[in-house]
Amino acid sequence: MNLFKNTFLPAGQLPLTNIEYFPIFLLLLVSIGLAFIILGASYFFSVQKPDLEKNSVYECGFDPYEDSRNVFDIRFYIIAIIFVVFDLEAMFLFPWAISLPYAGSMGFWSMSDFLLELVVGYLYVWKVGALNWS
Amino acid sequence: MSFLSFFLNDFKFFLPEIFLATSILSLTLYCSLVAPSRDLGYPILVKSLNKLCLLVLFITFLLVSNESNCFQIAYQNTFIFDSLSTSSKQIILFFTFACLFVCERSILENKINNFEYLLLILCAVLGLMLLISSYDLISLYLCIELQSLCLYALAASKKDSSLSTEAGLKYFILGSFSSGLLLFGLSLIYGCTGSTSFGALFLLMSSVDNPSLNLILEVLTKALFFISLAFFFKVAAAPLHMWSPDVYEGSPLSSTVFFAVVPKIALFSVFLRFFTVMGSNFSSFTLGLFLFFSLFSAVVGSFGALKQKKLKRLLAYSSISHVGYMLLAMAACSFEGNQALFLYLIIYMVASITIWSCALSLDSINSKSRFKTIADFSKLSSLNPLLALTAMLSFFSLAGVPPLAGFLAKLYIFHAALCSSIVIASIFSILTSVVSSFYYIRLIKNVYFEPPRVLSSLGYSHLGVESLPVPVTKECSILLGLGFFSLILIFFYPTPLFLLSQKMALCLC
Repeated sequence: MNLFKNTFLPAGQLPLTNIEYFPIFLLLLVSIGLAFIILGASYFFSVQKPDLEKNSVYECGFDPYEDSRNVFDIRFYIIAIIFVVFDLEAMFLFPWAISLPYAGSMGFWSMSDFLLELVVGYLYVWKVGALNWS
Repeated sequence: MSFLSFFLNDFKFFLPEIFLATSILSLTLYCSLVAPSRDLGYPILVKSLNKLCLLVLFITFLLVSNESNCFQIAYQNTFIFDSLSTSSKQIILFFTFACLFVCERSILENKINNFEYLLLILCAVLGLMLLISSYDLISLYLCIELQSLCLYALAASKKDSSLSTEAGLKYFILGSFSSGLLLFGLSLIYGCTGSTSFGALFLLMSSVDNPSLNLILEVLTKALFFISLAFFFKVAAAPLHMWSPDVYEGSPLSSTVFFAVVPKIALFSVFLRFFTVMGSNFSSFTLGLFLFFSLFSAVVGSFGALKQKKLKRLLAYSSISHVGYMLLAMAACSFEGNQALFLYLIIYMVASITIWSCALSLDSINSKSRFKTIADFSKLSSLNPLLALTAMLSFFSLAGVPPLAGFLAKLYIFHAALCSSIVIASIFSILTSVVSSFYYIRLIKNVYFEPPRVLSSLGYSHLGVESLPVPVTKECSILLGLGFFSLILIFFYPTPLFLLSQKMALCLC
């Protein structure tokens, strides 16, 4: 934090740069500025020839503004749910891998147990045919 | 710090849960390998799986009984094992065993052919067992989620029925809302105290009497308010009861039996532990809150049931009014109150499993007419006199008529409430129980004194008989007999139950 220390402020007043979240504030400023620069550059410098296909919303091949009471294949939901489960598992694995030296054998075997149960779930999903797309 | 030596004792106490979890995993493996196999002709495993589940529950019961009379706080203050938790686990395992035992035919007849159904019941039992043992806010929340997720799926398990899907969705949305409230309250507690362990909270709460901490006490009161709301929702106390009649009615009967009988005792024992831990700083606040919900539930349960035509909805409202009496005992916040609460819970479970077994035997396809409404009960006495007698006895017990167990339970509740000088509320509850006995007696009138509907008008004229016998399965009859005799026996010899509930309540002192 010494890098940002403001020496021109009178003593006793908390300098702005000493606030705990100041780097996050900087990050916020930079990211907002960068977003404006990129979007603005592509808006001003590009050649725009809009047509129907280009103007349509990009949403995984579906029109997002339809009647909500539509027939919709349930397999999308099943795949999404399974994806979320395995995604969360990956999210657990990263911090576990970093802190494994501190967690010791208890941590190792707990995660092994977790993965084993996950594999059983995966096998179940596989065998009942939730992954079949036909 | 060696892994094995550190957790050796904890594993020993955790053995029943570990066994149950391992058997759920292996049953899942077995079923997912066998059920979709073309070589075996896509076998329907429900019947054999039901037997396996009964075996698993029985062995878990033995394992739990093996470690009774211990006291241990394990897994870094996350789980507690004392006689309250072991007794509640035994009761839960026993009644789940009974539910699965009587529900087998109903599951088969309703064509719930997915093997997941029974595994979900086992998962719910695992969640309930962990819930009873939890001694930490995080484990409390996670276990509540584990069991309620299973219950949502059980409610929606009849996939081709729109009522069942609706029940599951309703239960899920409202249940997740209440879980949000619970989580909010828990986070407030963590924010104020910096601890999630019950033990640490107990020490903190017993030393907070400094007037400079008034602000924190105020925030904690709000937290308790939210947590109690979630608790009242989960046990379906009015005015947070709206989900329960719809869920009871929409779910398949076998799930309804499970919802109605099993989960309440786990919720009551863990939240009783929680409120005991939070201690006397909030006693005036919790007294008011509990009395309000208790009286409201008693009134809604008694007056709401008067209009109900369907048996499932009627029993849902009756369970709401019973929750009202249980909350009265909880409001008493004394040793006698806790003891009366556990006694009431056990007797209520016995009476309700008896009633639900009656409903199960009446719902069967073999009895040619499905008993859905109260009017269908007419002249059950001539169709199946023994079944009618059992139904009458258990309805009288729920109403609290003297020579039966229900009277004893109500007596202890009101005695405990009066000991804690809750006079007006007790008198009010007694008056509402008079109202609620009206609809029990109306059911009994239907059973015994109503002229039967003419069978020919129902399309049974070709059978050429005046009335059809109602067959009862072997499983149902065993349970009905047990319920019948225990409802009478408990009144004349309540000592074992009394000792059991005393042992459970002593853990909360």
